[in-house]
Amino acid sequence: MTELFLTVFSAAFFVTIIRTTTPLLLATMGGLVADLSGALNVALEGMMLIGCLTAVIVSVYAPWYVAVGAGLGAGALLGLVMAFFSFRLKADIILVGFAINILAAGGTVFALALATGGDKGTSINLQSKAVPSVDLSFLDAIPGVGPVLTAFLSGHSVLSWIAAFIVFAVWYFLFRTPWGLWLRGVGEYPAAPEAAGIPVNKVRTWSLIVSGALAGLGGAQLAMFNYVGFTRDMTAGRGFIALGAVLLGARHPVGALIAALLFGAFEALAVVMPGLFNEAPAELIRMIPFIVTIAALILFSVRAQRALALRGVK
Amino acid sequence: MALLEAIGISKTYPGGVVANDGVNLVVESGEVHAVVGENGAGKSTLMKILFGIEQPNAGALMLDGKPVRFANPREAIEAGIGMVFQHFSLVPSFSVYENVVLGSEPRSGIRFERHKAIAEVKAISDRFRLSVDPMPAVMTLPVGQQQRVEILKALYRNARILILDEPTAVLAPQEVQELFVAIRSLVAQGKTVIFIAHKLPEVLEISDTITVMRQGKTVGQVKAKEVTEKSLAAMMVGREVTLRVERKATDQSQRVAEIEGLRVVNARGTEVVAGLDLNVHAGEVVGLVGVEGNGQAETLEAVAGLRAIAAGTIRIADKDATAMSVLDRRALGLASIPEDRIARGLATGATVAENLVATRLNETRYVRNGLLDLKAIKANALQLIERFSIRVGGPASTVDTLSGGNMQKVVVARELAEQPKLLLVNQPTRGVDLGATQFIWRTITDARDAGAAVLLSSADLGELLALSDRLLVLYRGRIVAAFVNTPDLTPETLGTYMLGLSTQTADEMKAALR
Repeated sequence: MTELFLTVFSAAFFVTIIRTTTPLLLATMGGLVADLSGALNVALEGMMLIGCLTAVIVSVYAPWYVAVGAGLGAGALLGLVMAFFSFRLKADIILVGFAINILAAGGTVFALALATGGDKGTSINLQSKAVPSVDLSFLDAIPGVGPVLTAFLSGHSVLSWIAAFIVFAVWYFLFRTPWGLWLRGVGEYPAAPEAAGIPVNKVRTWSLIVSGALAGLGGAQLAMFNYVGFTRDMTAGRGFIALGAVLLGARHPVGALIAALLFGAFEALAVVMPGLFNEAPAELIRMIPFIVTIAALILFSVRAQRALALRGVK
Repeated sequence: MALLEAIGISKTYPGGVVANDGVNLVVESGEVHAVVGENGAGKSTLMKILFGIEQPNAGALMLDGKPVRFANPREAIEAGIGMVFQHFSLVPSFSVYENVVLGSEPRSGIRFERHKAIAEVKAISDRFRLSVDPMPAVMTLPVGQQQRVEILKALYRNARILILDEPTAVLAPQEVQELFVAIRSLVAQGKTVIFIAHKLPEVLEISDTITVMRQGKTVGQVKAKEVTEKSLAAMMVGREVTLRVERKATDQSQRVAEIEGLRVVNARGTEVVAGLDLNVHAGEVVGLVGVEGNGQAETLEAVAGLRAIAAGTIRIADKDATAMSVLDRRALGLASIPEDRIARGLATGATVAENLVATRLNETRYVRNGLLDLKAIKANALQLIERFSIRVGGPASTVDTLSGGNMQKVVVARELAEQPKLLLVNQPTRGVDLGATQFIWRTITDARDAGAAVLLSSADLGELLALSDRLLVLYRGRIVAAFVNTPDLTPETLGTYMLGLSTQTADEMKAALR
């Protein structure tokens, strides 16, 4: 038990949390943007997974940043596809989302087999690249706190820093720009922006494109930093956890960030714990993030119900 | 030269409904121009054409003497026309200023300039004496204020001509007066107002010129000073109308519904009915008066069993019905004519015959061994169509092919096919033409005369005064005044209580709260 505490309160564990949180956070921001525009993006999972594979394959032939861009682009394209089917062809957005998820689950395995010449499990034969980490060891020079700063801040993925900036950017966009006002208006009561001449479906289309791009970027982090290489179903439900984080974060960027960190922390725990508890099966420990997600959502819903009950509803 | 002119406008909707047939409208600059007519006279269609929502099949629009054509509302707005609809298009959680500037925000770079937006909205509000605070969220504002936010929206976009679609329908009498003050201030500063209405006293009070429409045609254009309510009504309907119902003396000694300490809380957690005590007796109509959203609808839904209650008891025909299902309540003799016939009163895709038996599917007359008795259902439909003179192709027509008035008649026919003990009625004639209104009033009164206890809510004070034996005024979920209906009772008296400007004491209410 002491070992667990020592691990949890170490700088290395903090770095692990940031690593596990980053893909989730990017997908959560994507989910948030889409959700606030009134276009629930249930395809985050599939978009992330396709983002993973695209980034991995492209990184074999191109520099890492091109590969990251490709992962992002793949997600954005899927967002556009989703918008096309649901707004132009008037298909149900949830069904379109699930179609993309199913397509991603099967399609990535198929594409992987083509790219690796028959391997349907992993991209281990492909020489894929990684996203570099940001080395801030020069902070050591600061007297006193230098080494601590280095331990906490150095070694994160470039994309982690970008993700932190994206949280701020999403907040600024939503609450400080006219288009953020449009987006929130479209999500809450589309008749109002429509009457004001704002093209409702165009706003939602852009939201889905951005949502997909962010999920794709999350996929790139997952397959080019957390793990290097692609494994089938490697997103393992992160897209759905992200949807949960949007709700748990009360549909606000800062709330969503906290929720993503919470889920990320438990995932990090599941990463380090198998090494410490030999007697517990690793599979059981790896279930922790999912159990926490379900528990958090139940708790959230119970609390919301209780708050309503306190006020006398039902 | 007229500011805005519509010449020979015709509009036929797909499906062959002729909504406008050679309509002419001449609006002078700086006047309040009322367009009056019954429901279905084509007023709304004409306004939609002026605002670019609909395209006419024939005819021309002239603005400042030049022909214009609006492909969409945006073009109409750019030409200086603004429209305030009956259903507001405001984002509930947004503040007033955010709603006003939405779509044309002041910005510097990518930043939304909030301070500038607030200042501009405040300036317009002050200039036209609309007295709207730019800061609060619109969902916290009363309907009258929300309406002025809509007017602000149009003014912010530099509208010269403001079209108000039945603006007084949702307002209490005092709020109507405030609106008229605002309209006068607008006109004094050079704006032109087109005012759609069907309440004639209001029209005569506020407008300079009146265009009367009937069945898609313009009947004429008159000066408000030169006509009376009576002559205007005759123009509108094409004959003299008397909207009155004779009521029989009934025995009102037996208590049918007893509601005690009723509390209802809505999904947002606000208390909408706050401890209501009221009784309804056989043979009387009790009218619930109030500006919409003061608990009338929720009270009726609670009694009908359609809404969970937070506290209180409901007794129907001497049985405790508080926890009963809708079906059990109906078995006690409850019937209900809901507010929204399309959403809650009818299955619009189903046939008239199916709708007419929808509440009787537990009776062996219509269902035997789990199978529908189609013959009996058809016979029932034919009989009710005849009795309630519903204008319909046949029992197999679907409900969505009917006009509003006939849809409402289907609901009324189903609920009153058998004499109920307790009848709940909410907005029975909203969006229904005068002929059907008269019929529905008659039917409700017949049910009362035959001994039904009736609880009625309506946004139309005239309707409440015409039908009720007693009137209870609700304000924020409480009874603030109670009256026995007499010919001296005026809408203005009710209005003071509806707005919460005054409250009767318990003693004053006693006589009418039996």
